[in-house]
Amino acid sequence: MFKKFTFEDISAQNQVKTSVQRKIRQNIVDEYPGLEPLMDDLLPKKVPLIVAKCQNHLNLVVVSNVPLFFNVRDGPYMPTLRLLHQYPNIMKKLQVDRGAIKFVLSGANIMCPGLTSPGGALDEDVREETPVAIMAEGKQHALAIGFTKMSAKDIKSINKGIGVDTMHYLNDGLWKMQRLV
Amino acid sequence: MAEKPEPVRVLYCQVCGLPAEYCEFGPDFEKCKPWIIQNAPDLYPDLLKEANERQADKAAEQLQSVGISSSGDAGGGIQGQADPSGSNIASKPEELKRLPGGKIKKKEKQEVLIEKIVRNKRKCVTVVKGLDLFGVKLSDASKKLGKKFATGASVVKGPTDKEQIDVQGDISYDIVGFITETWSEVPESAIFFIEDGKKVAAA
Repeated sequence: MFKKFTFEDISAQNQVKTSVQRKIRQNIVDEYPGLEPLMDDLLPKKVPLIVAKCQNHLNLVVVSNVPLFFNVRDGPYMPTLRLLHQYPNIMKKLQVDRGAIKFVLSGANIMCPGLTSPGGALDEDVREETPVAIMAEGKQHALAIGFTKMSAKDIKSINKGIGVDTMHYLNDGLWKMQRLV
Repeated sequence: MAEKPEPVRVLYCQVCGLPAEYCEFGPDFEKCKPWIIQNAPDLYPDLLKEANERQADKAAEQLQSVGISSSGDAGGGIQGQADPSGSNIASKPEELKRLPGGKIKKKEKQEVLIEKIVRNKRKCVTVVKGLDLFGVKLSDASKKLGKKFATGASVVKGPTDKEQIDVQGDISYDIVGFITETWSEVPESAIFFIEDGKKVAAA
């Protein structure tokens, strides 16, 4: 989604109302309970929260010029990879095999066989339509953030086609955008 | 309140910006190598060895390239999103036209193309082409679309005298369901989006 993403794609940046802020916070905490004790650090109450609206109904949650979360339409908020690297345990993890890494890093969606092969690993609790961290065989850090298209059980049993939609991956447009101007 | 987990510090490569362990998949691994040898030698044990070896023998490089290609083949479970099949579709009709004799004309395929055209940066028009091929009356269709999405919708003469429907606003998200619902003769598999000049199946 962020394969080509530049400042041009941001159509408007707004400081949001406190009521909207509260809603965003609540949504993020609901989605990632592990982040709750950190919320005051991540989204300090004093610092204005900015929501950048971009093309294709994409929203970025920006705090002091650093994009922290993004979401599409009314979908769940997902952390950016830089944030996920700092707090890797907030999301469910799926692991792909080594051969898949280079494809994922060029933006491919995650196909089921890459998750079920010996190098991959699946968290059985993952349901469809949830954000997940994509890890890689033999690597410590996440390489992408995805949105599952099937539940983990389906991925295992069907083992064909797209299992996870890749939303955000290393070295894509959002990754390169460390700070908004 | 639970204890605060400490943020993990990740070593990012100064050259390509990726976490150091992903440098090997980065845009330019060769350029990153000197930095890695200095800063994260334990991540790539082979690299250090290789660097030492290279001074003695350049054959090491060959070895390494062999290693990369074999590991790349190991688990090809994932296909590129922009894999060749997409461009294949686009290039096929051209090939047909170029056939010797030139008399073979491409048959008009029954499909609906949906394209989003952006104007003024944040306003857009959704163009629907090819509904007429399914025997749908375009003027009726535009009225229905306009009513459903509460926007202006008009029948416009497109390029090469084909008629298309322009609908104001970005409705590409909902339009597939609407088309299949309203006109049952249009299968979902015949609806395509055009994104960056590429055809993407809607289903």
